Amino acid sequence: MGFRVKIEGVETIELQIESVQKVRFKTDIPKDSNARTKDVGSTMVISGKILTAVDGDPFDSTRQMGIWSLVPAESADCYRKLTVEVISASQVVRKIFLPNAFVVDYTEHFGDTEGIGTFELVVKQKKDKLDKVTIEGGYSA
Amino acid sequence: MGFRLKVEGPETIDLGIENILTVEFKTDTPNDSNARSTDLGTSLIVKGKILTAVDGEEADSTMKLAQWSLVPGERADCYRKATIDVISASQVVRQIHLPNAFIVDYTEDYGDEEGVGTFYLHMKQKKDKTIMVKLEGGFEE
Repeated sequence: MGFRVKIEGVETIELQIESVQKVRFKTDIPKDSNARTKDVGSTMVISGKILTAVDGDPFDSTRQMGIWSLVPAESADCYRKLTVEVISASQVVRKIFLPNAFVVDYTEHFGDTEGIGTFELVVKQKKDKLDKVTIEGGYSA
Repeated sequence: MGFRLKVEGPETIDLGIENILTVEFKTDTPNDSNARSTDLGTSLIVKGKILTAVDGEEADSTMKLAQWSLVPGERADCYRKATIDVISASQVVRQIHLPNAFIVDYTEDYGDEEGVGTFYLHMKQKKDKTIMVKLEGGFEE
């Protein structure tokens, strides 16, 4: 499977198939609820590789994600549009769109025995805008 | 990948490629937040080796890290400027700069079967100065 991640805000961050390794989509409601609650949260976890540019290639845009994770809550720019496409055998299995995504956690890890770094990005949809989340899929890429 | 750590304060601590094993950069907000939180923390975690000086060469500056970790909060020099460079294929993949870093945890480990010790250094940026954190990279060394 391959993944394409696009984050649109003041700048556009695009992550390609080479960078993204794993995507997890979670919908979460409290486990102790007796009936369906309106306390629904939507979380997306994206992890992947931080590649080094060689031969004068442009660098991947993982650094921009780190900068996004540092944007303070006072700035409107902390909410961005996130689109994740899960592609397999020329089919778009899922296209998940969070129009008001914000960063909960962001981690970068680098090791001395590795040629690449890794990142993990945890984003959530702004809770009062939960009905704006769209999940599509099942068509050819 | 190689790493360079520089801590500037009343004294300068320099650790190079031989010393540092892994580097982790984290931005953290509460996971249960419904919208972007102002409670934003930035961490830098560095793990590495404590080398023994042989043939009369100078000892590495890991001891200065241990001394820094003991500086009480009343003193101004508990906050220092920390810069870490992540270098791969002559490219600076990341240059992370925390201008008001303080130590949260510092651990040193030694064993009777090893010739080197290991250290674990967890730094955070002073929270009201999170905006000053710089995440650069993507340029030639």
